[in-house]
Amino acid sequence: MRSALRSLLQSPKRLSGTLRIARWELTRSAGGFDRRAIAFTIVALGLAGGAVAAGIASGPGDVALDRNVYRVGVDADSPYHEVVAGSATLAARPPSVDALETGEVDVVVGDGEIVADDSEKGRAALTAFRGATRAYNDRLMRAEEDGVAAFPVAVTLSYEDRTLDRDLSAGGGGSEIGGASGADTDADNGDQVSSSDDTSEDGTDERSAGGTGGLPAVGAGGVSGTDSGSPADIAPPFPFESLVLAFAFLVPMNFVVQLYGSSMLGERTNRRGELLLVAPVRPIEIVAGKTLPYFLGTAIVTALIALAVGGGVVSVAAVVPIGLCFLAATFLASMLARSFTELTFVTVAASVFLTSYVFVPAVFADIAPIALISPLTLVVRDLASESVSLGEYAFSTGPFYLSGLVLFVLGTGIYREEDLFTQRAVPLKFLDALCARLTRRRSVALLSALSIPFVFVAELLSIAVLFALPMEYSVPVLLLVIAGVEELGKSIHIYAGFTGGRFDSGTRTALVLGVLSGIGFFVGEKATLLAQAVGLPELALGRAAFVPSGVGGIELVALALAPLALHCVTALISALGASRSKRGYLLAYLVAIGVHAGYNFTVVNAVV
Amino acid sequence: MISVEGLTKRYGDFTAVAGSDFEVARGEVFGVVGPNGAGKTTTLKILSGLIEPSEGTATVAGYDVEDAAMRSVLGFLPEESPLYEDMTPLSYLRFFADLYDVPRETAHERIDAALSRLDLEHRTRRLGDMSKGMKRKVAISRSLVNDPEVLIYDEPASGLDPLTTNGVLKFVAELADDGKTVLFSAHNLYHVEDVCDRVIVMLEGEIVARGTVGEIRATHGTIEYHVYTTVPVAEVHTTAGSNVIEETETVAEPSGDGARSDGERQQTHATRDERGDEGTSADASAGESSDRYETVVPDMAAVEALRERATAAGGEVVDIRTVEPSFEEIFLDIATPSTGASS
Repeated sequence: MRSALRSLLQSPKRLSGTLRIARWELTRSAGGFDRRAIAFTIVALGLAGGAVAAGIASGPGDVALDRNVYRVGVDADSPYHEVVAGSATLAARPPSVDALETGEVDVVVGDGEIVADDSEKGRAALTAFRGATRAYNDRLMRAEEDGVAAFPVAVTLSYEDRTLDRDLSAGGGGSEIGGASGADTDADNGDQVSSSDDTSEDGTDERSAGGTGGLPAVGAGGVSGTDSGSPADIAPPFPFESLVLAFAFLVPMNFVVQLYGSSMLGERTNRRGELLLVAPVRPIEIVAGKTLPYFLGTAIVTALIALAVGGGVVSVAAVVPIGLCFLAATFLASMLARSFTELTFVTVAASVFLTSYVFVPAVFADIAPIALISPLTLVVRDLASESVSLGEYAFSTGPFYLSGLVLFVLGTGIYREEDLFTQRAVPLKFLDALCARLTRRRSVALLSALSIPFVFVAELLSIAVLFALPMEYSVPVLLLVIAGVEELGKSIHIYAGFTGGRFDSGTRTALVLGVLSGIGFFVGEKATLLAQAVGLPELALGRAAFVPSGVGGIELVALALAPLALHCVTALISALGASRSKRGYLLAYLVAIGVHAGYNFTVVNAVV
Repeated sequence: MISVEGLTKRYGDFTAVAGSDFEVARGEVFGVVGPNGAGKTTTLKILSGLIEPSEGTATVAGYDVEDAAMRSVLGFLPEESPLYEDMTPLSYLRFFADLYDVPRETAHERIDAALSRLDLEHRTRRLGDMSKGMKRKVAISRSLVNDPEVLIYDEPASGLDPLTTNGVLKFVAELADDGKTVLFSAHNLYHVEDVCDRVIVMLEGEIVARGTVGEIRATHGTIEYHVYTTVPVAEVHTTAGSNVIEETETVAEPSGDGARSDGERQQTHATRDERGDEGTSADASAGESSDRYETVVPDMAAVEALRERATAAGGEVVDIRTVEPSFEEIFLDIATPSTGASS
């Protein structure tokens, strides 16, 4: 694999072969489109994009499905006329009791009294009118020069990270543990996330002020930052507009991957790609050549979107690895799928997973470090004109770069006649892809190390999914999930090697492979040190996830080699089972999970 | 030009090719025949670098087949050659010429020459709109864009009409005349017989016969002697041993029906004679109305014994015909050993 990559990069001739295929793919793909379909798609996308952009540009308050739904009879001279005029829901009409009776208005504002129609709509109109009046008053108060006089009570909001705090046996609810005591933990570490240090002199929280930087925060009329209102209106900061704009980066990718997947699977259909395989180009050049136009297309579209929504280099740099991962997942899917139907299923599943993975954490961009597992969080920050450190960029995008690379490596391994045109079930093809990379015993260690990005992604996703649950539930489940994911990463390729006939099924071979896998995984696992670079372990679940693996504070120095022993032992157990049979592997895998989970619980209880 | 030693390909427990050895000289048309699953296509794909051998070595034009540089001197035509149907023949061929690093001007000349020799018009029509024969011609042209020394064609005339097939086979022969080395497989053994200088017959991954078609016929074929007498000679049996023909068959034919029946037989023989078989009796006539009795014997000793018996019975031998088996019959004989000798 490394030699192939090196030869591709070092040889101008091979690079020119890649470029030739890329040029051909580009012209052929473009020629395969119906011009009317393209025109229709562009117009449709333009209209949809225009509508969304217009909605965003005009502000959420101006986009209302219930515009002018209630009619209020109010005189133009009445002070309430401005209230009605300032509300999107209400429409002003001439005041008339007769109009109320005929149903032409829902509410009438008279001299000193307000009369509503005796109906459901009338009562709803009255409620809306009261709300509009309240909002109008708030606006007036905010416009006052003397803010203290207008709002004599000022409340500073700060959002704290949840922590494990004391210990799991405390038995308290998650919210209690993560509440006031959380601040203590942070303070002890001298690493306060948000307290008076983060608060500006005027008593407002800088992180939440103005929502996401220059863009206004939208939070159910919340009072974050300098907003005012009743305590019931308080809501966490939610970077709505930045998120919507960030999501716009993902939309084109779903189109690109469909085109790309079809093109790659098309090479397998009716053995069409056989002729490229007998040409004087290597499979890696074919794959690179066929992928390059789609990758560049994604990058160009990303840059254009960034230009349109006000994003910068950070936005483009953050989205490109997402695009790479989309393409890599689609490529591997097209190598595994037996038909276009199967490909569609797999690519849609991959798209949904990746979209969820990058979008959902970004929702918490302003309040939780876990949001950094998504590169889209960097986009949100960039759109809010907030800075992004190199470590944060590496943490967010590293798993995407690595995962994309590994997926391409696996797919290219089966880009050969013997696998490309073979119709096998997707799981079996996946085992073939793993087996193709097992050229010798030490390849097992390499594959174990290469599984780290996926293990990392799976563990981070587990944290993201579980962190909202009470600690007494989320931590045990998380530790069990982590054990399952890691044991799978260490053993699935060993099983593939045995089933593919790459290794003899002797006990000694299994022992050797198990130890090699454990060592490879241990070495690769050190990449999770990156997690500390951005302070993820400050999050309690982050600590639970990564500390037991040997990455932690000074108190774990004595246990430095314990994870190595653990990985070797559990990988060995799985390898022994894999050398026997499928059932043997499944049983051994479960045993390995049990051992690993037991270790995790022990370490967490002892250390965290 | 092609050298194969101990070539073996295994898929798990299944052996597709088992230790093949053969050599092909420059300018030779070399045929690979065998039933489905015999290992022909696997052998061709190993030689074209598509499949890695499990054991053994193979070189093409001096290059190891696993050397990527080998592909520059090779033109490969798979049994199925689905094209990119949204392309035209010219754009398709230019792309492959580009991929083989052929200069634009040279590529243009080669493409034009190949398409002209194959009588392919409509060079700018979409491939998807072309007939199978036209597509096959484009695929063959593609195999020539790099002016390869060696051509490996897997079923080049597969699925084509007789006219196109003849054109393609003639083209293959011309390629050999131009100095190209051609290795090709075919299910239609008449094609192999017509075009190939030498052949190998594969069965269950092994080479079971090799040589020129004549050599294989001499080794594996059995000449039959059809003796026609005026009297029945049912008691006559072969004298050449039961291992050649177990029993002789005597057919009594009434004058009217016999003439028709005999005529059918002669029609069959005539067809074989057209292919160059020897030994038709000079005075045989299909429309003869007298009773004739046919006996099939394996050698001249049996013919002589038959003649003596017929004479003793007051009759005579009126016709003797020798029938050589076609290559197809020999192939069937080799490929299905359990059925014994051909009848």
